[in-house]
Amino acid sequence: MYLFEYQAKELMRQAGVSVLPGAVATTESRAVAAAGELGAGPWAVKAQVLAGGRAQGFFNNDRHLPGVVFAETSLEVGSVAQSMLGSVLITPQTTSEGEMVNAVYIEPAIAVPQEVFLAMLVDGDSGQIVCLLSKKGGQHVEQAVGVDPNSLIRCNLGSGEMLTTEASLEIARKLELSPSVSDSLSVVLKKLHRLFLEKDLSLIEINPLGIRQNDALIALDARITADDNALFRQSKMAALGSRSASSSAEQIALREGFNFVPLDGNVGIFSSGAGLAMATVDAVANCGARPANFLDVPPVLEVSRVKQAFLLLFSIQKINCLIVNIFGAGIMRCDTIADGLLLAHLEAPVGIPIVMRLAGTNSELAISRLEKSGLPIQFVENLEAGARKIVSMEKQDGSTLTQSSWAKKAWLRIRNSI
Amino acid sequence: MAILVNASTRIICQGITGRQGSFHCERAIASGTNIVGGVRKGKGGSRHLGVPVFDSVDEAVEVTQANASVIFVPPANAADAIIEAVDAGLDLVVCVTERIPVLDMVRVRHRLNTGSTLLVGPNSPGIAVPGISTLGIMPQGIFLPGRVGIVSRASTLTYEAVDQTTRNGLGQSTCVGVGADPVIGASVVQCLEKFMRDEQTEGIILIGEVGGTAEERAAEYLSSLTHRKPVVAYIAGQTVPEGRRMGHAGTIIHYGTGTADSKIGALQAAGVTVVSSPIDIGRTMADQLPSRQKTSDQ
Repeated sequence: MYLFEYQAKELMRQAGVSVLPGAVATTESRAVAAAGELGAGPWAVKAQVLAGGRAQGFFNNDRHLPGVVFAETSLEVGSVAQSMLGSVLITPQTTSEGEMVNAVYIEPAIAVPQEVFLAMLVDGDSGQIVCLLSKKGGQHVEQAVGVDPNSLIRCNLGSGEMLTTEASLEIARKLELSPSVSDSLSVVLKKLHRLFLEKDLSLIEINPLGIRQNDALIALDARITADDNALFRQSKMAALGSRSASSSAEQIALREGFNFVPLDGNVGIFSSGAGLAMATVDAVANCGARPANFLDVPPVLEVSRVKQAFLLLFSIQKINCLIVNIFGAGIMRCDTIADGLLLAHLEAPVGIPIVMRLAGTNSELAISRLEKSGLPIQFVENLEAGARKIVSMEKQDGSTLTQSSWAKKAWLRIRNSI
Repeated sequence: MAILVNASTRIICQGITGRQGSFHCERAIASGTNIVGGVRKGKGGSRHLGVPVFDSVDEAVEVTQANASVIFVPPANAADAIIEAVDAGLDLVVCVTERIPVLDMVRVRHRLNTGSTLLVGPNSPGIAVPGISTLGIMPQGIFLPGRVGIVSRASTLTYEAVDQTTRNGLGQSTCVGVGADPVIGASVVQCLEKFMRDEQTEGIILIGEVGGTAEERAAEYLSSLTHRKPVVAYIAGQTVPEGRRMGHAGTIIHYGTGTADSKIGALQAAGVTVVSSPIDIGRTMADQLPSRQKTSDQ
């Protein structure tokens, strides 16, 4: 679960890591008032999206406006906020569709003599929590580390035991800053590591971590990702997540527990298991058609969730044919998929041709049920046949059924049911 | 022979009385898997699916001499279940459970470092040795005892590779799903090493996916071998665009790895045949192996 900058900074503040005073605004007038409350300018107005790279980003309706803007007057704060709110920000770290900005965060703008990069994350390779540090902090850290890999310091933080003062000081000293900055950094490392463990985080990133004139450290930006799998024991964190949700199709899929990524083609993809879903996208693309989405429905017992997944795809107007690729195994059974499709059909009659590859558990039962339904389904033996069939279909029917009204209704129904 | 499991492996199931555990163990037992007992705290002394149930792994091992376990325990308790199995000294533990908190797995990995247990998973479909044993959730009826070892990071896609090698008659020696989580037990490299030593395995299929460094590590390992069996790889996610990123740490921790391009490039440089479409996995493997006819002529 991703947190917004302002949420991440609040957690850091609670953990005793110093951040600037700041205020969240969702309207222009609130932004102006917040600037006044924070004291004299200048201020930084920062678009709140769940991705980094904002300073290098741009808005879909104003390509010259980045996601972080410095403002001299409170009126200017208001007008920048006005431009950002309700607009879509595209950064090197968002998808090409960008992210809607529903809030801005306003802070005093300060300059610091030096900025460093600090991150903690779980490293799959070593199976440990790893700390990354670099003197080349700032927005170009990736390129800087690419050019000079030695500028990145990497330390294992162990397997869940608290960091000792000696250990954190040893790590801090590797950055070769002045003794008093090293002392401050070691305290920050200990506090962040504790936060990481206590909140079940999977990423903390501070870029930049500012070093002030008096050698004090301050988190000028903050990224935190919490482990979705641990939310059951982190109720306060789970509550933060619900406020972060927007209303895009991706977010609806998130609520229903589907992995969904919109793509730019016309062939709908329905699959189960991330690997098989990716393979289906690859197979369709390799045969010369353009997938409209990636959809991985996790193995479920409930037919209602399978139905929701079909309705989600049927609600996407540009999809003009659909391939379903299911390998029934474990609790994922082909008949659950069949029943989910039949239920979806009752709510939003299927108006697009469907190619289905059903293999594994209960595939024959599923196929016989669907054959009786009279739905426009062509069954195929394997993924290869399915990919070739859907490609020929997409080419024939490329222009049909793009603006059907039932799709809109289904879309509204899904949205209203949340 | 197969890798990891054979006919004499004595298997217990932790979480045998749960819905998932019952469903899969019943099928495994019916197909001849040597499941000798189950563990469910509070149900010790009872029987389930025709095998004795114990309160702890220790007790189960003492009575049944089990040396392997398959775990179907809910995510909140799964790490403790793995550690219990490691503490009991089992040789092999397969963990099917999905959605285990990653910091729990960090703790498990630490424990594995000081024991002799090999963990497969978590979030793994398990291990299948056609005709002998199924530990986990792989479907019955798609396997054929045969010549190809399959190691996969992507659960459902494993079955795709199995299906293709069954249809073209190659069959499988052993299929291992190493698990789709960021922190797992047995690595792809460890499985490749075992397949390289296994007499039954003539060729290896590696199913990877974008993210992580397992394929790059596999390429390093394969490059280090002077003689080796043919390897065919498919990397899922080649055409899926990069998703949202949160900051830079994930990119710079293993700079220049993790993408489909980096994995495919590394594997090709190591002499692996990488197929771009998943529909070509089976036939490409067949092309790399001598046909049966030819073998018997020689």
